[in-house]
Amino acid sequence: MSDPYRILGVPPGATDDEVKTAYRELAKKYHPDKYAGSPLADLAGEKMKEINEAYDTVMKERRSRGSSGGGYAGGSTYGYSQASNFSDVRSYVMSGRVADAEQILDGTPQERRDAEWYFLKATVLYKRGWLDEAYNDFSRACSMDPGNLEYRTAFNRVAGQRSGMYGGDDPNARRYGGCDGCDVCTSLCVANMCCNCCGNGYGC
Amino acid sequence: MFGYVRPQKFELLVREYDEYRGVYCSLCKELGKRYGLAARLSLNYDCTFYAVLMLSVRKDGTAAFTKGRCCVNPLKKCYYCRRGGNGDIFADACALTVILTYYKLLDNIHDSGAVKKFLYGAVYPLAARKHKKAAAGFPEFEGIVSGAMETQAKIEKSDKPGIDLCAHPTAEMISRILEVSAGKLNTGESTARIFRSMGYNLGRWIYLIDAADDLESDIASGSFNPFAVKFSLGKKSGADEISAAKKYANGVLNMSLSQIAEAADLLGLNSLGSITRNVILKGLPQMQKELLFKKEKTNVGPI
Repeated sequence: MSDPYRILGVPPGATDDEVKTAYRELAKKYHPDKYAGSPLADLAGEKMKEINEAYDTVMKERRSRGSSGGGYAGGSTYGYSQASNFSDVRSYVMSGRVADAEQILDGTPQERRDAEWYFLKATVLYKRGWLDEAYNDFSRACSMDPGNLEYRTAFNRVAGQRSGMYGGDDPNARRYGGCDGCDVCTSLCVANMCCNCCGNGYGC
Repeated sequence: MFGYVRPQKFELLVREYDEYRGVYCSLCKELGKRYGLAARLSLNYDCTFYAVLMLSVRKDGTAAFTKGRCCVNPLKKCYYCRRGGNGDIFADACALTVILTYYKLLDNIHDSGAVKKFLYGAVYPLAARKHKKAAAGFPEFEGIVSGAMETQAKIEKSDKPGIDLCAHPTAEMISRILEVSAGKLNTGESTARIFRSMGYNLGRWIYLIDAADDLESDIASGSFNPFAVKFSLGKKSGADEISAAKKYANGVLNMSLSQIAEAADLLGLNSLGSITRNVILKGLPQMQKELLFKKEKTNVGPI
């Protein structure tokens, strides 16, 4: 494995707190929930695993007694326990055969198109990058079955993206002064400068 | 379609600004060298970003810069990107610039009124000649772009196409271009996949911001515009209806942007990566804000 400190983006002289903060930032960045439904989810999962391993290695080395644990679990957290009318579609989606999944969905007659159908259709559209229709179908699935947590989670994610939470412009957000840099970015810049002050050249 | 993808200048470090200018100037120089003086006029920020992106995923060392003089104004000093190993990236970027400019010109001739048609028509033979050269050298790019233009024309003629469908050809075009380019750089399977997804959403973003930016003028001239179709906007539509459509467009753009950012986070970027990140996380949102919500566009001048 390559240098765990490099993966975490901190110099070897960093304090435990600095390592923890860096780890948390990275875990937030590559969190499986953020990438849920994305065609790149598996790559994010690998990255997360790498970060978890690096953090565990560093912490193990520092404490020299057992693993610190506490890492975020990698992998997607879909709960498919409930009975499904579209289990074949779900298994296609899971295995990345988006076109096959879509073919079955499109062949479903109008009267059998329930909340789950809209949810799955939206999932497929989302994977293909047809984000506008995906948003509408997630929203439809939610309104047809408001109690379903799976649909709600997916809808909240796309609604968050739409509002500019994960990058983009939020016209309703009022910023201070003349500078438009969103607060998160600005504080990250400041954090980066602090890193550079250490002089070890581990530019984040 | 050009000029939307650019960094937010005042958030760039001085080093990053110099490097960005360096790539820009190098592309200008290479365009002149490969396609003649006039081709330099087609230099644009979008293809500069393409070059920056490609340079920033290179694994074998980062781009080196050297001081020189501007080839248009010899009194001005500027930086150039050293060619060592980057020649292919610039060759690709030049070909893309020439091919995209040609199709943009064709589109302009097709869409504009008599006077402008005549002006565009005057430069057409020159652009067509350069295009022929680029297309012969880079048939893959030519195939991707011309295919996208054909599909686009078909979709715009269909009955009430949705936003996603309208954006699909451009999205697929950028996606394929980035994927092919990643293949040339030998950056591995996962980079190619990330580029595919990132390119799709970047192309989508470019198409949609262009559509949202042109909304008023398209309505006035009766040209096709996906947002006008979605909201049934016509010449009689009020300002509040148009601004509601633009607000909706902002939401759709934000979704694409979040996907671009997610993909970029997964790329292993070298020291030029900070410029790439600036473009994605600051430049593109800034462009949305300027074009969709501000009356006076203050930050869209030359960089």
